[in-house]
Formats: sequence, C-alpha cells, structure tokens
Amino acid sequence: MLAQQFVSGIVIGGVYALIAMGLTLVYGVLRILHVAHAAVYATGAYVGLITFQRTDNLWLGLAAAAVFCGLFGVMIHRFVYGPLLDQPRIVPLIASIGLFIFSQDFLRLLFGPYAMSFPASVPFGLLELGDAVIPGRQVFILAVTAVLLALTWYVVGRTRLGLAWTAVSQDAETAVAMGVNVPRVVAFNFLFGSSIAAIAGILVGMHYNSVYPAMGEMPAYKMLAVVVLGGLGSVPGTVVAAFLLGLVETLLVGFAGFVLPRDAIAFVALIAILLLRPEGLFGRSDA
Amino acid sequence: MLEVRDLHVAYGEVRVLHGVSLTVQRGELVAVIGANGAGKTTMMKSILGLVTPDAGDIRWNGQSLMRVPPWARAAAGIGYVPEGRRVFPGLTVEQNLRMGAYPVRNPREVQAGIDEVYALFPRLAERRRQRAGTLSGGEQQMLAIGRALMNRPRLLLIDEVSMGLMPIMVQRAFDIVKSLHEQGMTILLVEQNARQALAVADRGYVLELGRIVLAGTAAQLQSDPRVQAAYLGGGSGGFHDGRPRA
Repeated sequence: MLAQQFVSGIVIGGVYALIAMGLTLVYGVLRILHVAHAAVYATGAYVGLITFQRTDNLWLGLAAAAVFCGLFGVMIHRFVYGPLLDQPRIVPLIASIGLFIFSQDFLRLLFGPYAMSFPASVPFGLLELGDAVIPGRQVFILAVTAVLLALTWYVVGRTRLGLAWTAVSQDAETAVAMGVNVPRVVAFNFLFGSSIAAIAGILVGMHYNSVYPAMGEMPAYKMLAVVVLGGLGSVPGTVVAAFLLGLVETLLVGFAGFVLPRDAIAFVALIAILLLRPEGLFGRSDA
Repeated sequence: MLEVRDLHVAYGEVRVLHGVSLTVQRGELVAVIGANGAGKTTMMKSILGLVTPDAGDIRWNGQSLMRVPPWARAAAGIGYVPEGRRVFPGLTVEQNLRMGAYPVRNPREVQAGIDEVYALFPRLAERRRQRAGTLSGGEQQMLAIGRALMNRPRLLLIDEVSMGLMPIMVQRAFDIVKSLHEQGMTILLVEQNARQALAVADRGYVLELGRIVLAGTAAQLQSDPRVQAAYLGGGSGGFHDGRPRA
C-alpha cells in the first residue's frame, strides 16, 4: 500500500515538474508569472486527445500537442507579453490571467463543458515492483516524464543555449553585451516550456482518463506553489519541489485523507514555506 | 575605428548626454574621465546598444551601429568590461568565460581562449569551478576582463576598472589595462580615477554633466590646470579616489 502510494506520488510529482518547468523558464528570464501557461497545458491535452481520436496514434497526439502548444507559447510571448514588457510587472500578470480565463472559455465553446475520456492504450503492461503493482498507463507516464526531465536537464545544464538562459536570468543586460540574442532565448523558452506542458496535459488526461476545459485551473495555482517552493527561477529547485509536493499530497491523502482535501495541501505548504523561508526551499537568500 | 558623433541620450525626462563626440583610433588607449553622474556609463551603454540614443550616430569602422541590435555588437568585435564587474554570480569562473565567447561557435576556439585567459590570470585557473559570486573583488575584475577577451574583441570598452577595489588591486588593474594596450589592444577606458587613467592613456576626454569639456593627449590633460584642480587633487600624495574636490 505504501509503495503504491509512493509510485502514485512520483507520477503526480513528475507531472507537476513538467508543468512548472515552463513557468520557471519564463520567470527566470522575464520575471513574469506566466499564469496562462496552465491554459497551454489544457490546450495540449485537447490537441493530443483530438489527434488521438482521429488517428488512433498516441505518439502522433503527443507530437501534435507539443508542436501546436510550442507555437501557442511563442505567440503568447510575441503578442501578449512582448508589447507589455516596459510596463510594471503587474500588467503582464493581469494580461496573463485574462488570457488564461479566455482560453478556458474558448476550450469550453469548442469542445463543450463536459469531461472527455482519453481511452489511449499504451505500449506497457502491468509492472510489478515488490509490493507495488503499477498499471501500464502509469509506467508510460513515468517513462515519458523521465525522458522529458532528462531532456530539460540536458538543455539547461549542458548546452550553449542553456548557459545563455542561466546568464540572462542572472543579468540580462550583461548577457546582451556578451552577444546573447535575448529575444531569441526567451522565444525558445516559451517553445520548449509550452511543448513540455502540452505533453504534461496529455499525461494528466490519460492518468485521470478525463480532459475538460477547466483542467488547467488547479495546476495553475499549484505550479505557482511549486515555483515559489523551488525558489523562483531555479530549475533544479522546481523539479525537487514538484516531486516533494506530489509525494506529500499523495501520502497525506492516502493516510489522512479526511483531514485536508488534496488540493489544499499545496497551499498550506506554500503558506508555511513563505512564512519560514521567503526565498523558497532552494532559493538563494542573496538573489 | 570608433566614432561617436553628437550623441544625445535621455532617460525619460532626464537628459544625460548633450551631444558627446569622440573618436578612438586603432591601437589607441583613450580615457574618458569625469565625476560620478557625468554620463560616462551611459555613453558606454550607448556604444553597446544597451541604451537607445535620441540623436547622434555611432560609427564602427565607418559603418553606423545605430541599426545593429545590441547582441550583434559583441560579434562585431566590441568587448565590454562593465562597471561593477557584473560577472554572472551563479555561474562558475569557466562558465563565465564561456559566456564571454558566446558568439564563437567553434568549441576548439573557445577552449583556446579559456587557456589564454588562464595563462594571463593563473588565479582564475585555480578557481575555475568556483562560482563567480564567491570570488574577491580583484578576482572578479580579472574574470570580467578575461570574459571580455574571450571573444577576441578589436575594441575593449572598460568601465571603471578600479571601482570598489583595494588600493593594491587598483594598481594591478591598471597594470593589466596597460599591458593589454602594449600588446596592441584598442581600449576605451572610462574612469573616475583620473590620475591612474591618464597615466596609462594616449589621449583623454573630460566629460562633465553630459558634455565633453576638454580633449587632448594624456600629457596635455595632466598638465592642464583645470584638470589638475578638479580631477588630480593638486598633485597631493597618498591614496586618492579621483573624485573632484568641491
């Protein structure tokens, strides 16, 4: 039972990490809380589901969602945040919340308010790991999450582009003087973060076998909790915080489910952390 | 090589530069001296494209830079040692150097640059895996200079190389600038510490409240009574920070 809960917590935590990554990448370079990222995530779930329904090919669904939402993210940067960058940061934040609400209602108009099921079969069977029996879908989710997190680690930690991202997040002006084309780095962040969020949307849709217009709502709040816990703009911090939140949530609900609703736990943790360590679990107090 | 013509810059309502003109010829070390707030850093940032001038022109080897985006100016051969060093604090020494070589795509060339900087500053080699934020002020200044050299610039812009350094490091910093110049590097140096700057420069300009008020060879400026009164403190000995005496 414990092992089962643990695996479930890892699955949820991994998905949180995928969603929050885009937010961290964007916050790091623009200092904007990109709330509309959750709309990209929900859109990804729909694009994936529709593509899957038409073609019966899950991989095609993943690819279509990644491409579509990657471009969606780039357009958000170009047409919504870009013109607002000279304004105080509250202005793009409000635009972002507006875009989020608009996108949710747009999905509702297009696909109706009801939840759609995601009947994808995956190329994995039951996996038995000691006490835990992991359904094939969860194995698939874990595998895709692991690949994407590894890819993120590689891009941020091992490439010239990732180095430029880190430099821009620490001192954008000096990075420009060193020859970094900052708008291009930022555009790539949106492309990459949005593609990953789109795939996370599909994974969550598969996990709960349900895709619905407001599915971005709870992740929108939770990804904020995750990036703050992770120390705003820290990629490793985001990943650790996401797994921590997924595990704590799942284990607490598993053992004391009647005390607190699952979704409240993230916010109790957020408030507690902000009171005790305002710079986040992994933030630098000097940053 | 570099020509700044009648440059006007304002931040909102506040006008900072009122028609600054200067030139830097290949191989020269030119110093711009002036007090805090005279507009020295603004002038540097205009050359780099980090601030947008309202009027005037900046020409680089005969071509206007006004339409060249700021990130392309590094690739065009302009290196920058910022005021306050501005090393990337969370990156290691070596990652900082790699950032300096950002426009260079050939990994072998980048590695050769890193080796050269380490040869110039063995101290940095010892600390290559250390985060730049943990270095001393003098080490950070070496890193900022090394980082600017990574791109093999044809012109080096150096903003306040002595700021915030201990007196012994100030001397060391100017020795480095001087030796770079002797090896043929073209340098535009902006400095509050007029005494040290004029001691290494070929020519100089005096910037006051956004205007060039005096120009000449370093020797001319050193012997100019106005410069002596305002910037060289009448030749009194001892440590001197170069600020004008009221």
